[in-house]
Amino acid sequence: MATIEIDGKSLEVENGTMIIKAADEAGIYIPRFCYHEKLSIAANCRMCMVDIEKAPKPMPACATPVADGMKISTLSERAVEAQKGTMEFLLINHPLDCPICDQGGECPLQDQALGYGKDVSRFTEKKRVVEDKDIGPLIATAMTRCIHCTRCVRFGQEVAGIMEMGGTGRGEHMEITTFLGGSIDSEVSGNMIDLCPVGALTSKPYRYSARSWELQNHDAVSPHDCVGANLHIQTLRNEVKRIVPRDNSAVNECWISDRDRFGYEAVNSPERLTQPMLKSGDHWEVTDWKTAFSKVVQGLQTEINSAGPEGVAALISPLATNEEGYLFQKLLRSMDCDNIDHRLRQVDFLADSQQNLYSGAELPLEKLSTISSVLLVGSNIRKEQPLLGLKLRAASLGGSKIYAINSLDYHFNFKLDGALIVEPSTVPAALAGVALDVSRIVGTDLPEQFSAWAQLGGNRDVYSDIAEVLVADSAESLIILGDSCRQHPHYSVILAISNWIREVCGVKRIDLHEANGVGLTQNGCVPKNSENNALNLVSNPRSAYLLYGLDCVEDSIYGNVLEDSLKKANFVVSFSAFKSESMNHADVVLPITPYTECSGHFTNVEGMTQRSNAAALPRGEARPGWKVLRVLANQLSLSGFDFVDLNDVNSEMENTISEKPFEYPHDIEITLPDKHNGQDSNKLFHRIMDVPIYRVDPLVRRATALQKTADNSIRPIAGLNVEQAREFTLRDGTLMNVVTPEGNGISIQVQADNRVPVNCIYIPAGYIETAPLGVATHLTLEEV
Amino acid sequence: MLSDELISKINKEKTKYPIARAAVKSALRYAQEEHGWISEEVVRDVAEVLNLETIQVFEIATFYDLFYTEPVGKYQLRVCTNVSCMLRDSDSVVSHIQKKLDIKTGETTADGKFTLFEVECLGACGGAPMMMVGNEFYENLEPDTIDSIIEKLGASE
Amino acid sequence: MTMVKQFFKNFFLVELLKGLRVTGGQLISKKITVQYPDEKTPKSPRFRGLHALRRYANGEERCIACKLCEAVCPALAITIDSTEREDGTRRTTRYDVDLFKCIYCGFCEEACPVDSIVLTDIHEFHFEEKGMNVIDKVKLLEIGDKYERDIASARHKDAPYR
Repeated sequence: MATIEIDGKSLEVENGTMIIKAADEAGIYIPRFCYHEKLSIAANCRMCMVDIEKAPKPMPACATPVADGMKISTLSERAVEAQKGTMEFLLINHPLDCPICDQGGECPLQDQALGYGKDVSRFTEKKRVVEDKDIGPLIATAMTRCIHCTRCVRFGQEVAGIMEMGGTGRGEHMEITTFLGGSIDSEVSGNMIDLCPVGALTSKPYRYSARSWELQNHDAVSPHDCVGANLHIQTLRNEVKRIVPRDNSAVNECWISDRDRFGYEAVNSPERLTQPMLKSGDHWEVTDWKTAFSKVVQGLQTEINSAGPEGVAALISPLATNEEGYLFQKLLRSMDCDNIDHRLRQVDFLADSQQNLYSGAELPLEKLSTISSVLLVGSNIRKEQPLLGLKLRAASLGGSKIYAINSLDYHFNFKLDGALIVEPSTVPAALAGVALDVSRIVGTDLPEQFSAWAQLGGNRDVYSDIAEVLVADSAESLIILGDSCRQHPHYSVILAISNWIREVCGVKRIDLHEANGVGLTQNGCVPKNSENNALNLVSNPRSAYLLYGLDCVEDSIYGNVLEDSLKKANFVVSFSAFKSESMNHADVVLPITPYTECSGHFTNVEGMTQRSNAAALPRGEARPGWKVLRVLANQLSLSGFDFVDLNDVNSEMENTISEKPFEYPHDIEITLPDKHNGQDSNKLFHRIMDVPIYRVDPLVRRATALQKTADNSIRPIAGLNVEQAREFTLRDGTLMNVVTPEGNGISIQVQADNRVPVNCIYIPAGYIETAPLGVATHLTLEEV
Repeated sequence: MLSDELISKINKEKTKYPIARAAVKSALRYAQEEHGWISEEVVRDVAEVLNLETIQVFEIATFYDLFYTEPVGKYQLRVCTNVSCMLRDSDSVVSHIQKKLDIKTGETTADGKFTLFEVECLGACGGAPMMMVGNEFYENLEPDTIDSIIEKLGASE
Repeated sequence: MTMVKQFFKNFFLVELLKGLRVTGGQLISKKITVQYPDEKTPKSPRFRGLHALRRYANGEERCIACKLCEAVCPALAITIDSTEREDGTRRTTRYDVDLFKCIYCGFCEEACPVDSIVLTDIHEFHFEEKGMNVIDKVKLLEIGDKYERDIASARHKDAPYR
């Protein structure tokens, strides 16, 4: 500990702390541009000059560690002179275009020029002009304003993991730019907008649409992934203008992903539903809520009378809030119906019968950045859960070992110590291979049921590497199951094996969910009888369907099966915030509001329940989902729906959820590997599926800027192993026919993709175009 | 794009430093010796060999004046226009070369032989006005000595 | 002696005549009463009347939608919506002034970095229908176009004192 004195205030601080940090903690403000708590120290803006007793000249507070007995002054004549001088230099080339600059009003340069600058500039020469760059659809640039603090460069290099920005040239000719003006493709690039202390990098979708001082802040939580990033939704005259992060060290620190930041564009899209609608013949008629409700009540009662409550099936989007989920299932269960599910991207439900309601993370997400070893199974964590990807990168930089078992050789933003890229059907086998080596190390026999899988997995060196690392520091080790596991036809096997590993050596596990999956599971949006799971509800047509917040085909991986069932159904009600293709099969459409207009709670994968507040009033006649469900229940004369406000719903929910300790399925009968794996037939390709980052939910699919990014293609593009693509003499973008064994086929653009292993073809889900393939695991490929 | 010899040279440089980024400068120097200038492909390839981002290599390529990010002539005529040379009328040296080669400062002749640069003091004030071509200093320049130097260089292959 | 003086003053009606001199003087002096509306008093170039939005000489509107006038307005009389115009410049899509709320303080003009919003010397205006009190961007630009010469000359006259 060192005793220092800043502006006459005596402080006790840790040795090696930088002066600026000590001052921040003591509440003494030192002006700065390049210094940022989460980034490395650059000391290149020179704004944080302070006067240190006995030092021959002013020193930068961000790069000067404290020493015992140091006497620092931030207000002495020398310090003030240094700050004023620096500010004068910074302003030499900075244009005075604050009135048209989006940063105006929230600009550190503006504020500090006022607080620490001189009142006039002595510079009369010509200012330097730098050409603006087009660096993609998310970030607008005005590089003349840049003061070269290099925060964006350091963010890319250190936090995001891809260095896309850099400083080229030298001195007067220095420019911050991308290589040859290329676009910025990081999934967390929006944070550079927040970091930029001037208006050089600003938000493109928000460009010129509002001023910071007139925006109203609303505390919300991101629904797009299972991290639950804390947001400020900012509105002007009841319109969402932009979203910025809200600091929460336990969840998102000060970052949010681009999906969280720019997903709001959907809320203002012309595709919003603003009035209840009824289908009459082949066109839609706008109606009022009263008529719409009576139509729903009438339709539901007719179907229940003829087909019984089992004739009704309810499917809910994982984006729904806990309250919506709770009321939705309560409505169904009040009608004696158990047909409710939110897991439209899951195929294997065998684990259900044994599984505890809540399976999520076994450790706080905060700990992820300090974990010592990680095994990723079936996860492109960087695009599925961008913020967890950042945490893993931080862990990796801190020396933790990260291994992956995947079907696609994803480009991560952290270093993999070992990767096993196998065709999808071998993923459980590979995990069993790891389990076998774990059993050897800890001296426990591998259960017989896993042996068949382990045999299929073969013998690979990387298994023992992974096993050794996991066992070595098991309390600080982690297995992460990603989206590809959840979509895997043997999800229950992966769960069971990972669980066995967890039990014998004590590693932790995170089972990543979609959006608010944990909250919906906890609040009953899963069937009590596993037979009534989403896949069954969809593939055995019911007479009535209630769809909640879904775009059907894109929001499930079942493809056209759901559409066919909806066509066969007598009565379909769609609760939706947007016009979508699922409307074509609905009889009544009830407009609900997206999360920006609906308060509620989201539970993240760690089990942390956070409240998200409505930021704007509902558009048109649309109403928050929980209100719609409450009134619908009243109209159906169901009892127990006399809620006045959200708190009433909440307090009832709290009484119904009983949190139990983790219990994972392990003694369930697991399925054995398919003997016929399609290997004998050369013509069959394994299908690798994932849902691309900007196709996951109805909001991001309608966020126009996100749709234009490099991470998204408007039409799906299939990927083929580079070697095999050569056999097909494939030029990039060639159309090929892809056909399932059942004979459903599509033609799709195919390109060589170096991430794809041999005998596999990558075809993304989340597109209408790829829906006919459904969940087929094997495909034949023909040239058109 | 890069020759095998060059790649092995770069890899050897890489072993000299704790981080690959430190080897960029030497790598670029070798690459420029081979290719004459640092093109987009050279940056990409060097980045690939060193396992760095392209922008990290590009930053360094643009930082140093002697890395050319645009094609240059076989010979670069660097005429000093700093104080001592200026007092000895380096301006007329520059204009003479410009007229003779029909290029402006910073430009390359159509045959790709010469590029003209104005540079700061090279420490040969005793022989002002002077210019540097390759590693050679040519001092006490006069119109006819300039002509002979250019003709000599132009004739060589 | 004083009494004698007082007597003569009273006897010759000096006070009365003094008063009548003022009256007589006013009778023949130039009148300051103006026959409004046929005649009008001169106005200071700083007079603050009806609002206008100005253009540059090339016809481009000056307003850059910085919203400083909206922020400074003590009566919240100004409402602005802005967006990026096709050519990439920052422009208003809406510029409404509520003349009922406006207190003609002139802060908007003071705040404007491009001399776009100005208060003209027009003070004779009225509304005949509900809602006419809110004047929009089109109307404001029209006023600006129509009175640009007056506006410019008033600014010019006032310039040395600013």
